[in-house]
Amino acid sequence: MASLYLLIPLGVGVVLAAIGIFLWAAQRGQFDGLEDLSSRMPDDES
Amino acid sequence: MSSGRDWTAFDRPEVRAGFGSTGGSGCEVLLALDGIHCAGCAARAESLIASRADEIRVNVAAKTLSLRFKPEAVRLSAILEALDKAGLEPRILANEAPSTRSLRERRLTIGRIGVSTICAMQVMMMAWPGYFGVRPDPAIEQLLRWAQLVISIPGVLWAGWPLFSGAYRALRSRALDMNVTVGLALAVAFGASVVRTFAGHGDLYFDTATMFVWFLTIGRYLESRTRARAGERLRLLAGRRALTAQRRSGSGVEQVAIGELRPGDEVVVAPGEVLPADGMLTQPTVELDESLLTGEARPVLRSPGQRVLAGAVNLGTTALVFRADRLGGATVLAQITKLMEHAQDSKPKLQQLADRLAAHFIAAVLVFSVCGLAIALLRGASMDQAANIAIAVLVASCPCALSLAVPAVLAAATSRLAASGVLVANAGALQVLAGVDTVLLDKTGTLTSPEMRLGEVLAESGVDAEHCTRIAAALEQGSRHPIATAFAGKSGDLVASDIESVPGSGITGIVDGRRYWLGTTDPVAHRAGLPIIPHGKTGDTWIVLRDETRMLAAFSIGARIRPEAIALIADLERRGLAIEILSGDGADAVETLAGLLKIRNFAARQTPSEKLARLRQLQAQGRKVLAVGDGINDAPLLAAADVAAAMPRGAALTQGKADLLLLGDTLAGLPLALDASRLVTRRIGENMAWALCYNLVVLPLALTGHLSPWLAAAGMSASSLLVVGNALRGVTLKKEAGKPIVVPLPLTVT
Repeated sequence: MASLYLLIPLGVGVVLAAIGIFLWAAQRGQFDGLEDLSSRMPDDES
Repeated sequence: MSSGRDWTAFDRPEVRAGFGSTGGSGCEVLLALDGIHCAGCAARAESLIASRADEIRVNVAAKTLSLRFKPEAVRLSAILEALDKAGLEPRILANEAPSTRSLRERRLTIGRIGVSTICAMQVMMMAWPGYFGVRPDPAIEQLLRWAQLVISIPGVLWAGWPLFSGAYRALRSRALDMNVTVGLALAVAFGASVVRTFAGHGDLYFDTATMFVWFLTIGRYLESRTRARAGERLRLLAGRRALTAQRRSGSGVEQVAIGELRPGDEVVVAPGEVLPADGMLTQPTVELDESLLTGEARPVLRSPGQRVLAGAVNLGTTALVFRADRLGGATVLAQITKLMEHAQDSKPKLQQLADRLAAHFIAAVLVFSVCGLAIALLRGASMDQAANIAIAVLVASCPCALSLAVPAVLAAATSRLAASGVLVANAGALQVLAGVDTVLLDKTGTLTSPEMRLGEVLAESGVDAEHCTRIAAALEQGSRHPIATAFAGKSGDLVASDIESVPGSGITGIVDGRRYWLGTTDPVAHRAGLPIIPHGKTGDTWIVLRDETRMLAAFSIGARIRPEAIALIADLERRGLAIEILSGDGADAVETLAGLLKIRNFAARQTPSEKLARLRQLQAQGRKVLAVGDGINDAPLLAAADVAAAMPRGAALTQGKADLLLLGDTLAGLPLALDASRLVTRRIGENMAWALCYNLVVLPLALTGHLSPWLAAAGMSASSLLVVGNALRGVTLKKEAGKPIVVPLPLTVT
């Protein structure tokens, strides 16, 4: 059980890192066009 | 490949005012780049204009580029030309520059949803020993408490921030809304958990709080998307505005800003371009896409002399020319936009009622939760148990069905109807419409189409009837009188000169060197000393053509029944509505029409005040009346009816007092509106009923301590989602497939 003393704080750190990465991606506009992609015709040239 | 287009007009400040937003730091413009296909193209676009613009943002998915530049230092035309030469097909989007603010807000919303998702999952995982009554080592348990606290800080405080600030705003303006209970519940749950974390014992609600935030964030996102969809059509309308126009001038064609056009200007519209103003088509006969204005997806054919509207798209292969007469805010497009904006702002009565109810409900919930806390404490429960009850009451109560359901359903229905050409000018009317039991119909322009139809032609002996028709048509060419529509396109190659209208009796002009008169029988005939043609049983209007010496021919002019009128009447009857025709026309005409449409109740020769009196009489009998008219002659009737639907033509759009506007000059939208009203009422009823049942069951359970906070959170969130989902499921309207209507009877009535 002693490993939990390390793993729980580590887990918290990973979660905070995930939150940070997600927010960074959102700010960069990665999730800007979630709705229109599904309605677009397949585009051969892209 | 470059279009070789001349972009210089976009440098002029008056043109730019139509699309750019100029602030302190320069001018912001949004371009559509149809030539962008990949990230590579985007990078190319950026590098092409990087030296000229202060800020560039390319969105590959949406194929847009927004840029900020200094208009005094950089020419926009140079930027556009560079992009055009690179084959990126730039197009300026009017009025659509997505303010950086709304973009930031969208990203923030997505961020909050994501963060609350991550946090809710992690906190629940760390709380699982508690769920199953597993008691780990006390030190580990305490460590898990701290871990939950750390993760809950972004998950509750940051992701749930809009809820807290909403509650604060509501309280500051001394109002009670959903945010207040939600914010209070979150604050109490989170605060109690923090205290217990520091104390090192007691149940924690971090999992409840994070899950609650997650559900609410998702629910609000879905709701805002419905609203955005309703606003989409509005944006479409605004985006369809042309920014520049090609004006024909002495030397050729010049490009001018929309604001520089004057009534009477000849405007050239290239294929695929949008008409910049309302006007009269000069040439040639062309197909136009008016779907945005009327909801009719099929292209419409317009020939010279007919009206064309701003916002229509030239579908022909050649440029068209038209003479502009209505510009800017006077165009039908601008008026529709204004009406829709107004309709979105209007808060229907039912919603006001729902908001008031919700406020009372929330006040009651607050009282309940304080009472629950006090009673539990009095009965000797611990502070922990008492707090659980208070939190459960706050969390479980769900006022959202009241405050959320009505606007969501109405928005869905309104935007659905608008797409089929029914403009809801007053959202509250949709609810009244469901209770309507009587329909009053006007005749001319409503049941009959406003275009007249040429019926029988009687020629004097030795006179060619067809030649007479051509002469009459030549005289009527250019006339604005409704009768002229009966002769449209029948003049052949004859041209009349020296045309003069004789007020009250007709029109005169010279054709092939001879003077002719065309007019209603009585005055013309009287003056010429001719026998008067007796009115036939059909009640058609007769007009006669004569020359200097004698009468040549008589024409019967009738109105056409709208082809969809018969189906409409059948549909209304199926719905069990009482139908009545009130017309200002003569008894013969109205009787014939009523007979064709199989309507038993009709009244002829009605003045506007008589129509109004009949309406009042019906209303006094407790009937709810829908009045349908063309919006001009029936203004008093429409204004007094419980619900008014109008079929406005052109500029009359905003003059009437109609609640529903049937665009596209067809009655087909009326059954759709009736369907929509029924659906709206049913959905709202369902949501209200659900809210009532849910709260009646859940609140007593929470008060008596039989509902743990996490179960309360799940119940409340599920209830919200159900309400929003039911509203969204909302409103699919079936449009009758275009079945041809078989009419065995002649379509002419007077």
